[in-house]
Formats: sequence, C-alpha cells, structure tokens
Amino acid sequence: MYNYHNHIHLARMVLKSPLYKIHEKLGAKFTEFAGFEMPIQFTSIKDEHLTVRKSVGLFDVSHMSNVWITGKDAGKLVSLTTVEDASKIGDKLSQYTALLKENGTVIDDTIFMHLGKKFMMIPNAGMSSIVTTWLNDKANEYKLNAQAEDVSNDFVILAIQGPKSRDTLQKLTKTDLQTVKFFGCRYIDIGGVRCIISHTGYTGELGFELQVTPPKDAEDLFLKILDAGKKFGIKPIGLGARDTLRLEKGFILAGNEFEGGRTPLESGLSWTINWDHDFIGKKELLKQKKQGGYERLTCLKCIDKGVPRHGCEVQKEGERAGIVTSGTLSPCLNTGIAMGYVRADYREVDNELDIIVRDKSVKTKVVKPPFVPKDWAK
Amino acid sequence: MAKVRDGLKYTESHEWLKLKDNIAIVGITDHAQEELTDVVFVELPEIGKEVKKGDELCVVESVKSVSEIYAPVSGKIVKVNKKLDDSPEIINESPYDDGWLVELEIKDKSEINKLLDAESYKKL
Repeated sequence: MYNYHNHIHLARMVLKSPLYKIHEKLGAKFTEFAGFEMPIQFTSIKDEHLTVRKSVGLFDVSHMSNVWITGKDAGKLVSLTTVEDASKIGDKLSQYTALLKENGTVIDDTIFMHLGKKFMMIPNAGMSSIVTTWLNDKANEYKLNAQAEDVSNDFVILAIQGPKSRDTLQKLTKTDLQTVKFFGCRYIDIGGVRCIISHTGYTGELGFELQVTPPKDAEDLFLKILDAGKKFGIKPIGLGARDTLRLEKGFILAGNEFEGGRTPLESGLSWTINWDHDFIGKKELLKQKKQGGYERLTCLKCIDKGVPRHGCEVQKEGERAGIVTSGTLSPCLNTGIAMGYVRADYREVDNELDIIVRDKSVKTKVVKPPFVPKDWAK
Repeated sequence: MAKVRDGLKYTESHEWLKLKDNIAIVGITDHAQEELTDVVFVELPEIGKEVKKGDELCVVESVKSVSEIYAPVSGKIVKVNKKLDDSPEIINESPYDDGWLVELEIKDKSEINKLLDAESYKKL
C-alpha cells in the first residue's frame, strides 16, 4: 500500500499548535498543512463531518494567522488593500474579503474584524508574514498612518460549528449569544477567558470562532467547551473534515483555488467586491470584466462513481475544458464532488462534463453551490 | 491494536494473501484499513489482466487519500470483489474476509517464499 497523503516529510521547521498535547491525548492523527502539524482526524473524517452537520464540533484552527491593523488610517489601509470598503463595515462587524496584487490576482482571502479603532485580519495558514509585509509596504507607499503587526503566535483560534454550537457556548457565558449576529464580533468572557468571538465559520453551519490570547488560556477553554457540549455529543474535529465540510458548501481553500494566480472574478468572489471604492487590483479587474470569457470556478457533482482530486483534468467530449482544484467524496451525499476552473461557455447548470481520474473518465454535471443545502440534517 | 490473522501471508506494504493451490486471495490488513479509515472508493482491475509482483493492483481511496495496492506476487486476475463497488466500507468492517480485493492465479510459486508469515508481519 502506498498512501499519497502521508508521504511528504519535509526537512524544515514545522510549527505545532499550542494545543498539540491535548490533541495527542484525544487520539489525533496529525498531518502537515502549510507549515503546521495539525490534527487531520480524531475518529474518522466521515464521523467528524457528520457530527458537525448534525450536532456540534470543536476545531483548533490556530494555523490560521492573526494580524492587528492599527493607526489613524487603519480603515483606509484595509479599504485600499482589499475588495471591501472598510468604512461600510461598522464597529463589531466582520467581513469576508480578498487582498489583491496590482495585477488583480488574489494574494489571500481573509476575514477582518472591526473592533473599535483597530482591525484584526485573519489571513490563511502560512500567510501571516506575506500579508503583514504587504500591508506595511502599502501603508508606506500610499503614505497612510497605519501599521500591521503579525500576532499569530499570540493567538489560538477555536471554531465551534454545528446546529448545537450556540447552545454549547451559551453554557459558558453570561452574554446572550443571540445578540452576536451573523458576522458580528465582539469581546466576550467565555469559560472565564476573555476572547474575541465572531459568528463566522467555514462549515456552512451555525457557528462561532474564538480568538484566544494568551495561548495558554486556550488549553483550559478547549476542554471546557468539550465538556459543555457533551450532552450534544460534541467531538474535536480535524482538518480532514474541515476540508470536506467547506467543499460541500462550495467555499474556497486559498492554497487550492488561488494556485497559480486567480482573480476574484475567476474564483467566484465577485459578490465580495465593492466596486464603489478604489482598491489595489481594481483596474485589472475592470479590464477582465469587460473582456469576459475567462475560466471560472465551477461546482461539479459526479454522476458516475469516482472521487475527483486536485489536479484532475476536466473535459468536454475529449477536449480540455478545465482543471479540478478541490475534490472529495461528499460524506453527506456519498458522491464525488469537485470544484475547478472551467471554460466560460461550459458552465451552465446541468451541463455534463467529464473529470479524468487516473485515465478514467468520470461523468459529472455542473451544479450551483452549495452541494449540500442549508440545514441538511433537519 | 490492529489484528493479524494467523495462517495468512503478508507483505511489508500491508497486503495479505490467502493461498489455496495456485490461487491467492489478496486484501489489505487490519492495520492498513485503520490507517486509511473510511474507505469510500475502490478501483478494481479487469479480470484477465496480468500483473507483475509490485505492479499496481488496485486503488483504495478514503475521503482524503488515495492508496495504491501492489500485487504481492505475479499472476493473472481471475476474480474481483464486486461487492466493493457498492459497499467499499466492508474493507473497514471485514478486512480479512468480506473485504478481500482480488483473486490471483499465481504465476511463479517461488515468489511466495519471500512473503512474510503472521509472526514476522506482527513484528513490523
């Protein structure tokens, strides 16, 4: 047996989450992802996946980055460097957006939180120094009074996701969590720990994310949350299920979907662009929009048996029509699902396309995301 | 602890063989299925295909990973476990019985001598 997933052992420094020892005790299997050794699964991907869809799961996502943006012009810097106009995002609100290069391609997709006079940005794993340097360079270049500081090592990020996530967390706080609206964020005391809570997530279920500092405080909180969710059958969840959960909802994974340089128009992020403000990359996006005809990220659902994977070619009648960027077997649907870049003229819903998996053609059809609808478990 | 069944032959790459005259039934070990977890798809070879020892025999996929299963000996494929098309999870449930993969007609019996017995496989 040769397993492609576990064969990479790179001779370089691999970072560990501050919760590594707890994961080990809970029986985690680990994988390396973007320079971090993180749990890939505790029981099994399928079991963890369905636990989140049906009840509640707890994720350690400390591999994600934390960057504080401060200074008088903090908001202006966010507006300049992302496709969002930060002046439209009020205090205690968060926003999903993307940072672009001048040529319009995505550097990273991210969430930023507006917390008083400061903004906290959550770039992807391994992106902290790239994004921090970019933000400071642009602040200098555009003479803005704003600074970005990489504080990733000071924070543990926990995600509590699933229909029972609110009930679980409510047991640990006096703050009425109904007051934390979708994409709201604020400081909160939870399980005796002061942290930032946001009503956000990457699973398509009801869910919250916590930014905990110092990391030491997160150890106790992690166990407290597991205890609070016991009644609902809460489980710790690894990166394996995190990936299948996001893919069933058609959410992008930066390392896969932006590989090789993609604009937000290509990667299905047009809805995030606020065209009424100036931002880096806007000029090129306007050009691309006018030209049209570009490949776009497309959701494909298998009709035949088979599991599409990253890098598989998409074909129409034997001719190349695109490339798969993410693929898996959907634990909820029990069929293969994929996202990939497909020629503009082949993207209409129900159009049949083939994905080539190990020289075999697997018949698929174009579907609108999400693959798995909201409240699937109900 | 992963189970190792007595009376079978094993490879270092975690395949098992059950020998009956010149026929070998091939599957993956309990340890292998534990490592994979949740088998969701099995690509079986065509009946009649000749394989050399070490060639790819079939592909077993879990949610996240793709694993090649190697031919532990050279031979011709005479039977495949069709049940795996609709129920790949039986590899997890019954790796040594219902979850077998293929039957091979052994070409060179001397290759069997190089396989491990249960005791040696346990020590791996």
